[in-house]
Amino acid sequence: MTEKDTVEANMDQMFEVWEKGQQAFFKAQTEAMETFAKSFEGIKVEEGYPNWDSFIKSWVPDWDPNIFANKTGEFAGGFEATHNAFLAMLEPANWTQYAPEQLRVILQSIADGPKFADMATPQHEAAATWRESLDYSKAATDMGKVMQEAWIRTLGRFNEKYTVDDLKSANPEGAMNEWLKAANHELLETQRTQQFMDAQKRMIRASTEIKARQKETAEAWSAMYQMPTRTEVDDLTKTVHELRRELRTLKREVASLRGGN
Amino acid sequence: MPEKRSPDKEQNPPQISDQALLEAQEAWSLAWQYMLKTGEQMVKSNNFLGRIKDKDVEIAETPADVVFEIDKVRLFRYRPLAEVRKDIPPMIICYGLFGRQTMIDLQEDRSLVRNLLMAGIDLYVVDWGNPTRADQYLNFDDYVERYLGSCVEYLYEANDKKPVNLFGICEGGTFAAMLAALRPELFAGLALAITPIDFHGDQENFWRGEGFLNSWVGNLSKDDVDLLIDTHGMLPGEMTGAVFSALTPIASMTKYNIGLARMEGNEAMMLNFLRMEKWIADRPDHPGEAARQWLNDLYRENLLVKGQFMLCGEKLDLSNITCPVLNIFAEQDHIIPVSCSKAMGNLLSDDQYEEIGFPGGHVGVFVSRKAQGVVAGGVVSWLEKRLDPLPDKKQKNEAGVKKKKSKKQIQG
Repeated sequence: MTEKDTVEANMDQMFEVWEKGQQAFFKAQTEAMETFAKSFEGIKVEEGYPNWDSFIKSWVPDWDPNIFANKTGEFAGGFEATHNAFLAMLEPANWTQYAPEQLRVILQSIADGPKFADMATPQHEAAATWRESLDYSKAATDMGKVMQEAWIRTLGRFNEKYTVDDLKSANPEGAMNEWLKAANHELLETQRTQQFMDAQKRMIRASTEIKARQKETAEAWSAMYQMPTRTEVDDLTKTVHELRRELRTLKREVASLRGGN
Repeated sequence: MPEKRSPDKEQNPPQISDQALLEAQEAWSLAWQYMLKTGEQMVKSNNFLGRIKDKDVEIAETPADVVFEIDKVRLFRYRPLAEVRKDIPPMIICYGLFGRQTMIDLQEDRSLVRNLLMAGIDLYVVDWGNPTRADQYLNFDDYVERYLGSCVEYLYEANDKKPVNLFGICEGGTFAAMLAALRPELFAGLALAITPIDFHGDQENFWRGEGFLNSWVGNLSKDDVDLLIDTHGMLPGEMTGAVFSALTPIASMTKYNIGLARMEGNEAMMLNFLRMEKWIADRPDHPGEAARQWLNDLYRENLLVKGQFMLCGEKLDLSNITCPVLNIFAEQDHIIPVSCSKAMGNLLSDDQYEEIGFPGGHVGVFVSRKAQGVVAGGVVSWLEKRLDPLPDKKQKNEAGVKKKKSKKQIQG
């Protein structure tokens, strides 16, 4: 084989590799596009922008996606607003309230996920803590809603009982007594509802979980500074309690035996 | 369809008649007068609050001496205010752990303690002390058998080994009933006041505001209660106080504003109010394990009335009580429903059981003016009636003593 033949053979081999590589690339691209297309099946293209708009607004409600379209030429302001909106998306306080349930599920799945020996424990705890604070916020909001509805009903009840004619009688004390009576009636009725009971139950549960988490934090701090933890003190208390109980039983047995003798 | 406004209407709004203006002016004037009057009332009450100091608001002043102690629990014997009646066995009063026993001696003219002393009763009262987290593992075994049992044993010994009377109030009544079933030989009589026995009660017939606590606790799961107790160690007094305040929402919301204003600085009324406030503010934490049993086993599961509540390793049967029982309940009790208290009668024989229905609320049984004669008077006349027990009852008591003695010997 001449030198020329060798070069051509090498070139052919290189082209063959290139060609096969290109074929493999296009095949992969085709499959990827087909998969991609399947995942978007059923989605109407014309709904794409409103969906995106709604999605962004659910995270950053104050941001206007049309900022560039509306303010032609004011790119600096547009960029600044977009930049701020992006930062706002990173600030949990700005968006957790709009998607608490989804976030709660994600956090719970992280908290309940498998534990590694040397990695990710703080992340598990942080997820659990975050989930607990979300639960508390939601429970407090729900409780507030139940009570707000009770006060609205109180107002309605008062308006039914206390008319304009009563107002003309110019008896403010009577009006106040009627208001207190209506409020007492509605609040007691509200307390009997399952909605109130459940809301309060969730409040107690959520606040207790936060308290338990605070206890864990305090324990970690105590351990770090070589101080006895709450759990250690509780363990000692339990030991003393059980010893005292045993001592009392023994004393009674001794007294009984002495009495028998 | 909204009404279309004519241009004329917008340009010429309806005229308010002179009469309407006059009425409005008059109403505003009267409202202002009322506000000024209320302000004046409030100023008088505030002036009183400015003059008085906390040390001037005294409660539980009837003199008493500690005669027995076990851990933090102290048994006080009250100094007699009249000649002590030897024909009536001495009486121990046992309050619950959710509040303090000072409620039964709030002030001189509203004091169950003084009324009983004036009737010649040799009177003792249990003070549970101030439980802290170090006491979190104390349970019903400790409070009923170990603490209350020791106090009653002390008095039994001091009374020449003769049975004594026990008067239990609220949760203390539940303790007392349990001890009377566990150690019937120690008792000549058992009086209960505003005491829950059936923790579910007749829920279908609760009046508005009655039984809220029962429903509220019943709505919690065992896990909720356990988390609460495990986390706090105790059942915090602030929490129980908040729940009790919620039972009377408007009264709780208005007592420091409208309530104070309406007292207009009246010294007697203000002092009554402040004494009550002092008692309410002194709300101890409830030991955790005992609270867990109270909420889970009693309020949620209602084990006592089912005969399944475990005390000192045995199922407790309240029908083991052999002494006469007086049950006092409050007909407008918003904390312990009447049906929850009256259930005691279903567990005892008719000749053994008596009850007094007081027309008032939970705390009113002891602190209201009208209660002073009803409760103490009722208890004293019941004690007097027992001076000559029926022969068959006496035999029953003796049989009970023999039966329980053998039981206690096995327990050691």
